[in-house]
Amino acid sequence: MTILQQIKNKVRARSIHVAYVDVGSCNGCDIEVLACLAPRYDIEQYGIFVHNNPREADVLLVIGAYTPGWEEKLAMVWEKIPPPKAAVAIGNCPISGCLFNRRESFVDPPVKKHIPIAAEVPGCPPRPTEILLAILSVRDAVFANWEGEHP
Amino acid sequence: MKRTVDVNIPLGPIHPCFKEPARLKCEAKGERIVGAEVELGYMKKGIERIMKGRPWQEVMFLAERVCGICSVIHNMVFIEAMEQISSIPVPPRAAYLRVIANELDRMQSHLLANFSYCYTIEHETLGMYLLDLREQVMDELERLTGARVTCAYMIPGGVRCDMPRHNAEILSGSLDRIERDLRRYSGMFADGPMIALRSRGVGILTKEAAQRAHAVGPTARASGITTDGRLIHPTYRQLGFVPLSRTDCDNYARVMVRFDEIIQSISLIRKCLQDLPKGVIRGGGVCKGGETRYSGEAPRGELTYFIKSDEYGRIVDIQIQTPSIMNIEACCHEMIIGADSIADVTATFVSADPCIACTER
Repeated sequence: MTILQQIKNKVRARSIHVAYVDVGSCNGCDIEVLACLAPRYDIEQYGIFVHNNPREADVLLVIGAYTPGWEEKLAMVWEKIPPPKAAVAIGNCPISGCLFNRRESFVDPPVKKHIPIAAEVPGCPPRPTEILLAILSVRDAVFANWEGEHP
Repeated sequence: MKRTVDVNIPLGPIHPCFKEPARLKCEAKGERIVGAEVELGYMKKGIERIMKGRPWQEVMFLAERVCGICSVIHNMVFIEAMEQISSIPVPPRAAYLRVIANELDRMQSHLLANFSYCYTIEHETLGMYLLDLREQVMDELERLTGARVTCAYMIPGGVRCDMPRHNAEILSGSLDRIERDLRRYSGMFADGPMIALRSRGVGILTKEAAQRAHAVGPTARASGITTDGRLIHPTYRQLGFVPLSRTDCDNYARVMVRFDEIIQSISLIRKCLQDLPKGVIRGGGVCKGGETRYSGEAPRGELTYFIKSDEYGRIVDIQIQTPSIMNIEACCHEMIIGADSIADVTATFVSADPCIACTER
């Protein structure tokens, strides 16, 4: 590993920008992501910034069970994020559809079918600490030594 | 008539200020907004369609997931509607515990709404204070019900778990702390000159306009309409509940009404803890067939369930009317019109506390 790569790894580990997109959840996971901002969990002490702007994001948090309103739009949001990038599915909804995945409903889970998902956090809703842990583990798995693997 | 519009500005569906996806299409003339429309349809899951034909045991969990922010009131209204259909009595202790859970939920919802408003007008310090205070309320909710968000605390004929005496003492201790902090923060909001510049006189919703748009909840109470679903609830009447209102009609009033209501909720919980009756928390009962319309006061306004069930307690037909749809209507067609800049549009929209998940279901 070159010195430049080492510097990049070190810097990148402390500057993860997060955008979240709600593709049809009940809001429960949504507010647990917001609760990560609270001084108790303090997401910014790990160098993670929640901007909700896909064009400057590294990690996309996907919440919800994929409603028809998001067809094409979610893929567009995903394409707007510059590489290196990773998507994290928060809650049961993007993984399996939770209890919305029944006959007569409009949802089309899992979100894995539509965009590549790097990590999944099950729970209805997961606790803020679990969401934090997932973002941190994605940071180490996806962003470290990225240039070395993608010359 | 042809209208001259300088520029159409779409906001959303992904916007740094919005918690949930909604698209606001504003027509601006210069910086002044002359018209606005909201475009929904990003969250439609079809919960009412899933609910039909299922037993109440399943529907109570679905009802809770209509809205994750105010899940306790959805649970409460659905269960009390089923109790009304089947004429199941509620033990007095359970009725009081329900009020405690509901008021804690209202506190956290209002704190979240006020955090969003402070975050939108870029007063991040106060926003973070409020979010930290919300975590303390969430702790109390978790201690009482066992879960942070979707707790399914109420069941027909009672509640799931009792509150031991030492938990009641911890709760009243934390309420004192929360009230002390909250009075300080609401004082900061009330006296902040920069906050007043962004909030006072912005997003005016007059009483007539609020009546025209059928605004409900804190949005209506900030415009001088004293409407509150808790007035007709038997337990709240025992507690001597009186609704609050303000007559400023602007963003400032809507946020301050929520602050006042949190303090009112604290005093309601204190009163509950003081006269908490002894006895059982579950009376038992069987859900039967019938149909009813039942309303309760959600943090955002009046919430109505229309339920028709068959003799085995299965839901044949269900219709839910959530408060946010009226408030979004009032927001788009009355409050935003005439806003002086685009920055005020997001602030005004957030001050009405729209909840898109329960609007679209």
